[in-house]
Order: sequence, then structure tokens, then C-alpha cells
Amino acid sequence: MVDWLANNAGTTGLLFFFGTFLVIAIWAFRPKAKQQIESYKNIPLAEDDA
Amino acid sequence: MNKLTEKPIYNDEIVKKFTLATVFWGVVGFAVGVFIALQMAFPELNFGEYFTFGRLRPLHTSAVIFAFGGNALFATSYFSVQRTCRTRLWGDGFANFTFWGYQFFIVLAAVGYVTGVTQGKEYAEPEWYADLWLTIVWVVYLVVFLMTLKNREEAHIYVGNWFFLSFIVTVAVLHLANNAVIPVSFTSVKSYPLWGGVQSALIQWWYGHNAVGFFLTAGFLGIMYYFVPKRAERPVYSYRLSILHFWSLIFIYIWAGPHHLHYTSLPDWAQTLGATFSIMLWMPSWGGMVNGMMTLSGAWHKLREDPVLRFMIISLAFYGMSTFEGPLMSIKTVNALSHYTDWTIGHVHSGALGWVAFISFGALYHLVPVLWKREGLYSLKLVNMHLWIATIGIVLYIAAMWVSGIMQGLMWRTYDDMGFLEYSFVESVMAMHPFYLIRALGGILFLVGALIMVYNFYKTIKGDRTEESESRFKEVAHA
Repeated sequence: MVDWLANNAGTTGLLFFFGTFLVIAIWAFRPKAKQQIESYKNIPLAEDDA
Repeated sequence: MNKLTEKPIYNDEIVKKFTLATVFWGVVGFAVGVFIALQMAFPELNFGEYFTFGRLRPLHTSAVIFAFGGNALFATSYFSVQRTCRTRLWGDGFANFTFWGYQFFIVLAAVGYVTGVTQGKEYAEPEWYADLWLTIVWVVYLVVFLMTLKNREEAHIYVGNWFFLSFIVTVAVLHLANNAVIPVSFTSVKSYPLWGGVQSALIQWWYGHNAVGFFLTAGFLGIMYYFVPKRAERPVYSYRLSILHFWSLIFIYIWAGPHHLHYTSLPDWAQTLGATFSIMLWMPSWGGMVNGMMTLSGAWHKLREDPVLRFMIISLAFYGMSTFEGPLMSIKTVNALSHYTDWTIGHVHSGALGWVAFISFGALYHLVPVLWKREGLYSLKLVNMHLWIATIGIVLYIAAMWVSGIMQGLMWRTYDDMGFLEYSFVESVMAMHPFYLIRALGGILFLVGALIMVYNFYKTIKGDRTEESESRFKEVAHA
């Protein structure tokens, strides 16, 4: 297993990172969460001293 | 209990210190830059042992990147993390230590440069003892930042803080790997790296390019995501795009370093990998730029009214321009012409002056009246004057370097009918003289702009206000 991973580090690494990125992207853009996620953009405007 | 109505007492004293340090080191760094630009045009300005170009050049790069840029990042990250987490910065004493510890590191490194103590690695010149000291300071910075996040009263960690955190963590990792050295002895300033040959070169440029990617890009994007919405009084264009921006930027940037080693003994596949990832960087870079600029969507008139916001938006334009140019230069055939020429210097400065310095100036102009509890800046007219003088300076600088760099590259590769090189090296140096003069002029204008800012800050902190600035404030307040 370790030998196989070592020999195919490029491909497995690429698939792992790209897969992780895709999961994040799909998670961020799932239609259900649109309102919730977009509401976070008001955080800097919530306080009024600056 | 409504947390929104309870206002924590923020630690703004520490932000004030870092703000003043940013302005001070900025002027020092720009002035040394102007001096070494003049040394290029007039070599007789290289006098003595300590003030030669070779010793002052790392002084300039470190002063502007780590002293000016670093202090700006400390100031803005400490300021915005408190406000977006609605909690006081953790550990007053530790935060204070990061200030004095960081200034001590800057002085330690600078003294080394002029006395000829250097590791000889670009942007990583400080020797082992300064590196160890910086490691301690940086870990404390990370702890202060993380503990503040842990104490937050806001459920969500705002995206600006993700950028700041990725900058702090990645710079720590880069710093440790690239400075793995063995000192000759504990009493010697000299050390030797663990890695040798092309491995050493690869690690150096993995470090060097990610210093650009995480110090000068991710960190300053943290500034952009807080200060542009704050100044525009509008939320960022798309929060989901900012999430995509963050993850794509950090996933891609880390692989781009090998493009600094095209046509060297680095394996060909690694060079191609570096170039490929650099080209892929177009997407997150432009996605981020669009996100920042479109924050003004529907409120473009603010750009006409507020020169501070103008600084920020012009900085995003320069960000877009230099992140377009960078991937272009990483393509091997383009790099064959551009590498080792002034084009690279021009590219770096369009990013450093246009993006990094301008977004910092924008943030500083916003910060100073808030921190010193003044109604507004002493003079908005002076801000506008700074903006245009500095912009003209940058344009002169980068245009001169484009012309001289491409000319230099073409002169180096021109052959005559017999297959001999058409030009000697010194002929290419002589041909660049007029452009060195234009570059120095551009740098002088940029420095003059910064001095105008210093005067404006001095008057603002003193509590003075021009009539024009006061009436402008009233107009905005009534609008």
C-alpha cells in the first residue's frame, strides 16, 4: 500500500487535492445554503466604530 | 442577550504602534529603493564597503516587503480580527511582544545586510540567528491570532481572517523549510544549508514564490476583504465567490514556484508543472479581483467622492494587471526572453507598488482617523494628490522596465550572420541608461507621495482639519 502510494504519489496527490477542492466548491455553491453563506458578508459592517 | 449591542474594548494601542511602524519603514524602504535606482543609473554612487548596490538591494527588498508590508499586515490583521470576531485581541503582552520582537528582527536583519552577513537567498537573506528569532515572534503572532479567533463572539469566521491565517501559517512553514541550515558555530554568523544544488534552488523558489503568494497576496487579500467593504459601506460582492477564491488560490499558488527555474538543471517536468499551475492562477486571481471591484456595484459614485476608496480600487486594478502578467511570464517561451531582464523587476513593482502598497495606503488612510479617534483625515485633497503622484510614478517605473527589459532580452539573443552575438553585455547595459533614469524618477514620485501621506497623518493625529475635508465629511454624513 505504502509502496504503491509512493510510486503513484503524483496521481494520488492530484486526485486527492482536486477532489477536496471540488467538495469545497460544491459545498459552497449548493443552492440551499446560498442565503446562509451570503449573509456572512455583512460581518464587517455589523460594528459601527470604524 | 444580544451580543451586537455589547461592544468589547478593542486593543487599538497595538494597532497604532504597527500603523506608525508601517509608515516609518515604508518611507525608509522607498528611500533606499530610490537610492539604489540612482546607483543603477550612476554607478559612482556606490561608495565605501557598506553602501554598495549588492548590500543595499536586500536592505530595500526586506524593508519594503517585511518591514513595510509586514507591519501593515500586523496592523490590519490585529485591527480586523478583533472587529470581525467582536472580541478583544488575545494576550496584550504577547501582542506587544510581537511588535517589539518584529522591529528587533528588522533591525537585526538590516545590520547584517550592510555588514555583508547574508545567506544569499532572495527574500531570505537573514542568517540563522535572525531566522530563529523571527520563528519565535511568528509563533507568538500565530498564537495571538488563533486565540482571538477562539474567543470570538461571532459564530462564523469571516473570510478575511482565513486569508490572514493562511498567510501566517504558510509563511511559518516556508520560513522553516527554506532556512534549514547548520551554523558554523554558535559564535559564528555564517551557516550552510542542509539542501544542496538544484534541491536547494527549488526549495528557495518554492519559498520565494510563496512569499509573493502568501505574504504579498493572501495577506493583502485579507486587507482587501475587510477594508474595501468597510470603506465602501457595502458587503463584498459575493461571499461564495470569496470561498472559492480562497481555496483555489491556496491550492494552486503553492505549486507555482518552479517557474523561477526555467531552463536550469531542474527536471523539465517540474518546470512545466510550475508554469501550468502559474497559468491556472489566472482564475482565482481574476475571480478575487472581480469580487473586490464588484463590491462597488451600484455605488460607483463613491469612487468619485472618496480618494481613499480610489486607492483601494486602483490597487485591485494593479492586482489584476500583475497577476495577468505573471502567468504570461511563466510560459517558457516568454520566460526565455524575460528572465534575468528588467521586465521581471517591472513586473514585481507593478505588484508591489500598485497592489501591495496601494491597498496598504488605502487601509492606513482608513485606520489613522479611526485609531486616533478623529472625525476624518486632515485633508482629502492631499490623499488625492498622493494617489495621482504615486500612480504616475508607478506607470513611469513599469513602462520604463518593460521597454528596457524587452530590449535587454532581445539584445542578448541577437546573432549576426556569422553566428556570433551581435552585442556585448556592456552595450546592453549602456542602452538601458535612459530607462534607469525614468525608473528613478518614478521611484522619486512614489516616495514624494508617501511623504505627503506622512504629513497628512501628522496633521490628522494632531487633530487638524482642512475646511475642504470638514465640509466633505458633512456632505457624506448628510447623504
